[in-house]
Amino acid sequence: MKKWIWILILVVVAGAFLLWRFRSGRGENVVVVYVSEDRVFSEPILRDFERETGIKVKAIYDTEEAKSTGVMNRLIAEKDNPQADVYWANEPIRAEVLKQKGITTPYISPNADGIPDGFKDPEGYWTGFSARARVLIVNTRVHDAPSSIMAFVDPQWKGKAVIANPLFGTTTVHIAALFVLWGDDSAKKFMQAMKENGVKISTSNGESADLVASGEFDFSLVDNDDAVNRMRQGQPVKMVFPDQGEDGIGCLLLPNAVMLIKGAPHPSNGKKLIDYLLSKETERKLAFADCAQIPLHPGVEMPAELKDISQIKTMEIDYPAVAKKLVEIQPFLKEWVGY
Amino acid sequence: MGKRLAFWLVVAVLSAAGLLPILYMLWRSVSVNGHLSLSYYSSLLSSERTWALLAHSITLATLTTIASTLIGVPLGILLAKTDLPLRKALAVTLTLPLLIPPYINALSWFYILGRDGVIASLMGNAVSNITSAWYFGLGGSVFVLTITFMPVVMLLTMAYLGTINPELEEVGRLFSKWPAVLARITVPMILPGISLAAMLVFLLSMGEFGVPTFLRYDVFPVESFTQFSAFYNFGAATAAAVPLAVITAILISLEWIFVRDRTYRLKTASDSGFLRIELKGWKRPILIITLIFAFTTVILPLTVLVARSMTLDAYRKALSIAHDSLLRSIVYAVVGATLLVGIGFLSGYFIHKREFRLWRALDLLTIFLFALPGTVIGVGLIGLWNRPSTDLIYTTPLIILMGYLAKYTALTSRITVSTLAQIPPSMEESARLAGVRWLNRIMQIVVPLSKPGILVAWIVGFIFCLRDLGITIMVYPPGYDTFTVRTFTLMANGSPQLIAALSVMMVAAVLLVMGAGWAAVHILRRR
Repeated sequence: MKKWIWILILVVVAGAFLLWRFRSGRGENVVVVYVSEDRVFSEPILRDFERETGIKVKAIYDTEEAKSTGVMNRLIAEKDNPQADVYWANEPIRAEVLKQKGITTPYISPNADGIPDGFKDPEGYWTGFSARARVLIVNTRVHDAPSSIMAFVDPQWKGKAVIANPLFGTTTVHIAALFVLWGDDSAKKFMQAMKENGVKISTSNGESADLVASGEFDFSLVDNDDAVNRMRQGQPVKMVFPDQGEDGIGCLLLPNAVMLIKGAPHPSNGKKLIDYLLSKETERKLAFADCAQIPLHPGVEMPAELKDISQIKTMEIDYPAVAKKLVEIQPFLKEWVGY
Repeated sequence: MGKRLAFWLVVAVLSAAGLLPILYMLWRSVSVNGHLSLSYYSSLLSSERTWALLAHSITLATLTTIASTLIGVPLGILLAKTDLPLRKALAVTLTLPLLIPPYINALSWFYILGRDGVIASLMGNAVSNITSAWYFGLGGSVFVLTITFMPVVMLLTMAYLGTINPELEEVGRLFSKWPAVLARITVPMILPGISLAAMLVFLLSMGEFGVPTFLRYDVFPVESFTQFSAFYNFGAATAAAVPLAVITAILISLEWIFVRDRTYRLKTASDSGFLRIELKGWKRPILIITLIFAFTTVILPLTVLVARSMTLDAYRKALSIAHDSLLRSIVYAVVGATLLVGIGFLSGYFIHKREFRLWRALDLLTIFLFALPGTVIGVGLIGLWNRPSTDLIYTTPLIILMGYLAKYTALTSRITVSTLAQIPPSMEESARLAGVRWLNRIMQIVVPLSKPGILVAWIVGFIFCLRDLGITIMVYPPGYDTFTVRTFTLMANGSPQLIAALSVMMVAAVLLVMGAGWAAVHILRRR
């Protein structure tokens, strides 16, 4: 009997310790941030913020690549009693969804100056920074590299292209953007033609990039970090910004987006973190990190593999319309994938 | 504490942690824009795709269960009942895959069977093309899930073998050889344990999403997943999870009807000795076969994993970025497993005794929760507990512990039920007649007799808390993640060396904890 009492005491003490030690602090000098940008890239930035400001960062990370649904659903579920101050999204569509659900509140940071208007919400519900470009990754043994996403439907490349599952991640956004740009009929024809041209489906952009690097396919459509990563590892691939010609639709740029949560427990620290993320220095760090993201502020130093935003012809994108379209085309996409 | 009070304590804990959050979610699944509607269900059930995916999931779960049982039961018998050398080491080794996230297991096998894998470099591309084609699909999914979940069957078989009465076997041995005794006496006696293990493997593999997705085999949980990830529609996501729970309910009913009543008559005492099978001339060949099996299914993929993390730098980095979360994981899992054993033992006791009318509801609820995706329970917990008045629960690790209780009580409860099925009720009954109070009867008679079962329940609870991802990622207090969550979130674009190093660290940490526990038990016994 005595033994059980000891075990019980031990459990109670351990429980009390847990409560005291690992409580998500309210009222202290902290900022709570939920993050959908890959942790390997976002965590160092948040650590720097902590060091430079003395504000403790408490973060929850998510991972799109590994198919988690954590952070967005958590933000939505916590709406009535918000725990987060800031959400750092890896693309602006999620920001639009949160705006429509009334979960975010406007904040126009002084550091948002200089970021082109196309990458911010006009009312200040979210602000974009450090963008990923959707690029073609091409194996270097291919001489006449494709320069447009139309290569996916060109018989010349039949059976030689691969694309990530359009039900997940940035590929979904890309397809939805094409639906908005071209209209449903043309976009559906394009998707159908892709299928007929033998385009294979991979589980993620990273896997697509590996399949091209290993020579199983000639090219794919991925995020620029997937391409830059393989290039830095010395793999036989190159990166092509698609559709840059005069009539071209341009390259799709997906910035990170940062926003303040409505009813945030530490709003002033939240604003400080947003200012920090929107600074040129953060954009410089994200450009040199392995995510190789393209700065949106003019005049930010960047590695040689990247192009300045002013030199890229970018695709016109209406984020609210894309957010809506994304939901609309899910049944079509499921069918297309063959689920 | 009286029996009635204990019963209501269990009901209260499970309601707070599981029932109410799930009712909240079920309510959302039938209320569309504020109106009562079954539209989520009708659109789900009217789609052909739903049925095709369900058929996939059931096929995958059935094949995995059959394979795990066919391998796990003989292994359990070999390791618990024979004089095979290296039994303990083999048992620990063969359990390792259960400790590693299934996705990582799939990845390490990809390094072996994939087109550019170990097979390719050893036997050329012609062979690796065949292995790769086989690996990506149903075959590979069954293979990885069997290796991952087989230890559940093996461990439970071992545990129940330790509690059977040797007298029956002795009598059997007078007339027949061991194979016949095993088939007609030993295995039927541990049937509750085996059927429990099979059911757990079935549920685990049916709910698994990461491995089949990686291996391109479309399964039903993807439905609920896309409702969460693409639409953020909690109602539809819950509706899409319900078919899994319904299948579970059917399974339990079948078990209620068939297995448990059959074994009810086989209760025996467990206090006298243990009959060990002498393998004699078979010892060497069986040992060799078992070693080869352990080597190919566990050591080889682990070696590949370690080889990929071979730089000291990867380990230094892994340790520096994850040591705090590793410590938290272990603390949470130790506290979680202890709570699970406490609540699960009581719940199992009441289910076994069938004295309170609600026993069926208790059994059904725990298994139902076990079958639901972690995200559904997680969102339910947030909906229920994220309020200013209950901050003490939601903003602290208490919420994680509640999640563990919701999701995993089925494990410890069911292990207890199967354990108690082998203890004669006469002992507790005579103590009752002698006027011993209920709590004392439990503590002094039932608990000591169920020790092996309790120990297994604790280990299984510990492992499942430690590897939990679905619930933890939904509810952990910001800044205080667990090791599994951290490994998972680092997996996106993290270096393969780092991920491999983290997985190896996880295995090492679990072995250390288990080793420490084992040493502590031994030291205590010597005293």
